[in-house]
Amino acid sequence: MTAAPAEPASAERAILMRGITKRFPGVVALDDVSLEVRKGELHAICGENGAGKSTLMKILSGVYRPDAGVLEIHGRPADFGGTRDAERAGVAIIHQELNLVEDLSVAANVFLGRERRTPLGLVDDRAMEAETARLLETLECRVGPRTRAGSLRVGDQQLVEIAKALSLDASILVMDEPTSALTEAESARLERTINRLRERGTTILSISHKMEEVFRLADRITVLRDGRHVRTVDRAATAPKEITGWMVGREIAEHSFHEPRPRGEPLLEVRHLTLPWPGHPRGYRLSDVSLDLHAGEIVGVAGLMGAGRTELLETIFGVSPPTWTGEIRLAGRGVRFEHPREACAAGVAMVTEDRKRLGLFPDLDVAGNVSLCSLREAVTGGFLSRSREEALVAGPLRDTGVKTPGPHASIMGLSGGNQQKCIIGRWLLTRPRILLLDDPTRGIDVGAKAELYGLIDRLCRQGMGVLLTSSELPELLTLSDRIVVLAEGRLTAEFPRGRATEHRILEAATGS
Amino acid sequence: MAASDSTSSGGWLLRRSEWALLAAILVAVVLTALVDANHSYWFQPLTSLRDIARSTAMLGIFALGASVVIIAGGIDLSAGSMIALSATVCAATMLALAPAEMVGFKPVGGAVVAAGCLASLLAGFLVGTLHTWLITAVRLPPFIATLATLVGLRSLARALATSTTAALLPTKNSQINVYDPMFKFVRDNVWIPVAVCGLLAFVTWLLLTRTVLGRHVHALGGNEQAARLAGIRTENVKWFAYCYGAMTAALAGLFYVANESVAAPAIQARGHELNAIAAAVVGGCSLSGGVGTVPGTVLGTVFLRVVIDAVSKVIKTEAEIYEGLIVGVVVVLAVTFSQVGQLAKGGRRLFPGLLGLCAIPTLALLVGGVVAMTAAPRAGITAGLAALALLVALRFWEGRQAAAARPA
Repeated sequence: MTAAPAEPASAERAILMRGITKRFPGVVALDDVSLEVRKGELHAICGENGAGKSTLMKILSGVYRPDAGVLEIHGRPADFGGTRDAERAGVAIIHQELNLVEDLSVAANVFLGRERRTPLGLVDDRAMEAETARLLETLECRVGPRTRAGSLRVGDQQLVEIAKALSLDASILVMDEPTSALTEAESARLERTINRLRERGTTILSISHKMEEVFRLADRITVLRDGRHVRTVDRAATAPKEITGWMVGREIAEHSFHEPRPRGEPLLEVRHLTLPWPGHPRGYRLSDVSLDLHAGEIVGVAGLMGAGRTELLETIFGVSPPTWTGEIRLAGRGVRFEHPREACAAGVAMVTEDRKRLGLFPDLDVAGNVSLCSLREAVTGGFLSRSREEALVAGPLRDTGVKTPGPHASIMGLSGGNQQKCIIGRWLLTRPRILLLDDPTRGIDVGAKAELYGLIDRLCRQGMGVLLTSSELPELLTLSDRIVVLAEGRLTAEFPRGRATEHRILEAATGS
Repeated sequence: MAASDSTSSGGWLLRRSEWALLAAILVAVVLTALVDANHSYWFQPLTSLRDIARSTAMLGIFALGASVVIIAGGIDLSAGSMIALSATVCAATMLALAPAEMVGFKPVGGAVVAAGCLASLLAGFLVGTLHTWLITAVRLPPFIATLATLVGLRSLARALATSTTAALLPTKNSQINVYDPMFKFVRDNVWIPVAVCGLLAFVTWLLLTRTVLGRHVHALGGNEQAARLAGIRTENVKWFAYCYGAMTAALAGLFYVANESVAAPAIQARGHELNAIAAAVVGGCSLSGGVGTVPGTVLGTVFLRVVIDAVSKVIKTEAEIYEGLIVGVVVVLAVTFSQVGQLAKGGRRLFPGLLGLCAIPTLALLVGGVVAMTAAPRAGITAGLAALALLVALRFWEGRQAAAARPA
């Protein structure tokens, strides 16, 4: 890609930010940040969680108003009172969090607040559905426009969110980690859409934690750290290691856990597991899945969105409806859990995929979140003892390396990585022999990811068996001893570490 | 998130918002003492205290139950009807066991009273179980399930009163009189409901903050799906919460019988469930669940009753007409004040755009109307115009603040 080193003329500038500052109670989220984005370029913003990327994007799209500084869009000063103002100026944003109304259809969500009308002033569902179908088609997403948004899985919801932004036909598109919930194949589709948009001259600002994605797509890269602008560089003039170095202020060692772990006795055997899916044309969520997990082993479960990764873990953990057939054996004994409590008592723990929705208790403090599953150990004489609870959680907080002001700090004040460590710590307290991790590093920054990898590796060396899913293939390849691949509910391949490559896994996952 | 703020803003003994509530209670008492033309707080402090203590304790008992349900992420709209049912069950049981004494205004004996009270509490347990079954097995939303029992239980209580009296007495009656001296004793000794309420508050506090079950109640209210995935039997926790709610209402029902010497299901405690919910909300419980404390609920109850008492002292004639209005205003003000911090920081406006323009005359009309009806028509017009001027000024100030906050 070409990028002139000279200052571009104002006509070529899509966005100009000068001295943008935004304070929140207790923190300066952005401190005097200046940034220039050229027309038609794809500009990546990198930084750890809390670096201020999302705040910057929210200012650009009118969600926040800066406390100080100047914002210009296409050379015109912009003062957005809300997202509607930003949309009018041609800025659309794809948010990191999903903002769908679950009870409305996909089409109604895409056009929410900008509903098409018939000449009589009534809502024109047909036009909106047709337009939505067209948008989803460009994203190669096979979801009907009349489907209820809440019934979709996270990946599809994310695609709907993207379709919503595309429907605005904006000249500037802001993407806040759009691929964090997408599988490789879905990300690839999104990339093709991005390339089409660039051909049309759309300026794109993108936040991403995935370095290879950044280097494949971006023209220029801006690094933020602790709310400050570190630097902006041409992609050609830098390397991933340098960027991550600027992001964390130090060089990150390549994760390698290639030292073989000793493999122990079999812990978990799944045989011919079939989970029916009533009312769905396919008829099953899982079909005839068999796999083994040994002590001291990490088995990765690869698969596209909807392949049944989460369902597999949920069935083992006793969350799925008890309609499944087949066999699940724990250390040789057949089990059939009907409530997570039974799984927990049998030494199985599960860290769920959607941390905010399925894992965190926002109203409990850090200690309360960690101790929840093993509270009985903090009871003396029938009552909870605060000091015993503190002593109880001190261990896992230390082992997982949670950075918190104290055990009674608010869990919502921690970064995503630390929240996830708290949840893992919660399950470690139950002394599990099998740990089910469903996409544990989603939305977590680079540094914290490396720490989590180290933690998972350490647990495994202590004899735990780990079943891991991830939406990022490199993560599975880094951590797993073996990788099994699911495609549409069936197990299509199994690779030992040495033979697994992204290419082979993708082939098995897409059934090609 | 407001929810997480309240966890971390724990101060010494009480949270910050609870200290504010305590201060508000003191201010309300002092203001009443000054404004009341009879100065009853000065001249009859004991009578005033007794009135407030009784009404607070009676409301407090089932407000505590309501707050447990709310913290568990549910809602129980049926408390008022449960009170009526409990009162009727108690009276009907005593009537069935000792019909001659009940009719002859004679003591019925301790065993019969105990049987009546136990029957009431059992009814509470059964209603709580019914709620939980409707919510967890039939999967009705709590609002719908308890709306059904709100309507249904009162009707059931009336049917019970009518059919019991028809079967056991010469003439059927829609209410059952209770003259037993034990109930009279409770009525004449305010310390009993106060002690019961205090004890219940302590037990509830212990339960919510110092037991595994209490922690699970908070977890359930905070994030139900995560609670289930963490291995908590959420149905059992709900069962406890709804039974606690219904049984505290049943307990309150016994005090209603004592206080009024009658079980009158048609009118008894009608609408009081909303006072209980209001007390919990004023005390800092969040209707989305997971947030709330016992001290908060107790203070919320006291505040509500103090303000109602204050207005009755000031207005004097037909003060009970205004009770609902007061509860409504107190709830709105309490919850608004708890957000004042965010309002100031977040640049949010109270009177934005066209909606704000229309809200201003609405509020002014409300103020003017109430003053006109309670004082004099002329005073009403003056108050209305004053409110209008004040709100318009507030809106201008807000607009200028917003303009100033905009970066140049």
